[in-house]
Amino acid sequence: MDERTFARLAEEYAARLFAVAFRLLGNRGDAEDAVQRALLKSYAARASYSPRWAVSTWLYRILTNVCVDELRRRRPTTDVTVVPVSTPSAAGAIGDRIDVARALEAVPREARVLLALHYVDGLSHRELAAIRGISINTVKSQLARGKGIMRAALERGRHGSTRRSAR
Amino acid sequence: MDRLDDLLAEFFDPTTLAPAGLGARIARHRAAHDDVAADVARFHLEATDRGLRRVSYGAGHDGAATAAARRHLVRARAELAEYLAGVRTYFSVPLDLRDTGEFQARVLAHATRIPYGETSSYAELARRIGHPRASRAVGNALGANPVPILIPCHRVIRGDGSWGHYAFGAPMKTALLQLERNTPALVGSSTTRIVCRRGCAHEQRIKEENRVVFAAVADARSVGYRPCKVCQR
Repeated sequence: MDERTFARLAEEYAARLFAVAFRLLGNRGDAEDAVQRALLKSYAARASYSPRWAVSTWLYRILTNVCVDELRRRRPTTDVTVVPVSTPSAAGAIGDRIDVARALEAVPREARVLLALHYVDGLSHRELAAIRGISINTVKSQLARGKGIMRAALERGRHGSTRRSAR
Repeated sequence: MDRLDDLLAEFFDPTTLAPAGLGARIARHRAAHDDVAADVARFHLEATDRGLRRVSYGAGHDGAATAAARRHLVRARAELAEYLAGVRTYFSVPLDLRDTGEFQARVLAHATRIPYGETSSYAELARRIGHPRASRAVGNALGANPVPILIPCHRVIRGDGSWGHYAFGAPMKTALLQLERNTPALVGSSTTRIVCRRGCAHEQRIKEENRVVFAAVADARSVGYRPCKVCQR
């Protein structure tokens, strides 16, 4: 990988990498940091890149490792809520998005990573398995489990909000 | 597809999220902070049974045919990595310089004696080998140095202070000289009164609170330290 290839890769993937990092880490500053660190790491480790993998697989793998490290590092201070807390509005996209963000918080880390990768870039189960180094069946079950948890959380949230608005 | 799928797809939509120009900014950042001497993987080494034969930068690959050669190669790579990280100021891996001529061998031998962190000029080196008018030939001999860095031809600069030519490029010469300027070359122990070059096994055992840094052996001698018998040739 030379300088020009790196610049092209950075341009091409920055938006998608950012989307994954932002939805995992919850704030823009940390997400930009993570993307930058991941891209610089990929450049430093370019000798270890093998054409067996798609470039995207490789980049996502480095990025998710950076994000998981960050989340792990953060864990002792989980009381810092990264999702803006506001009462769900009665209707509209913003209310939905906050509900989704909250519901996603209830999902375990590994499943959350998979959900983010799956929905940002529409990656297949096979690619997800390669990125996270797990089996395809684990990917499927984790995704299903993550969605199940989200669905339950959204249901609860919806009931909660209707109760609150009724009061 | 159900409603959750739609919600998630909208939630993770990358087109609306990323700050504009993030990729370009990161690429610029990398270019600005590119440290040519930071990455030991960019160097390629070739070794024979007798020792290290060639060092190249960028394209290429490692070469070692026998087990003995591989041992030299592993050792050279470790020393090079330490040197680039600023924790080694000299090399002890054997070199195989059979392919160099008699004149070049003398030039290289004298170049090796330029201490870490210091520089010399082509003319000065020519004087030292007894051919004061041969500074251009000295330049050519150094230019054909098969093992740059291990034989520190980057410490030889032109008489007017400009860099002159360097096999791995001027930015590398700058990076190496900068590295050597910023790394203390000699470390003494205030308990044993012995001074070692950075990277010596004895230097690594000196406790943090007993460390004293010197710029030159003469400085250390003047306050009663003696050079280590292992790392001072």
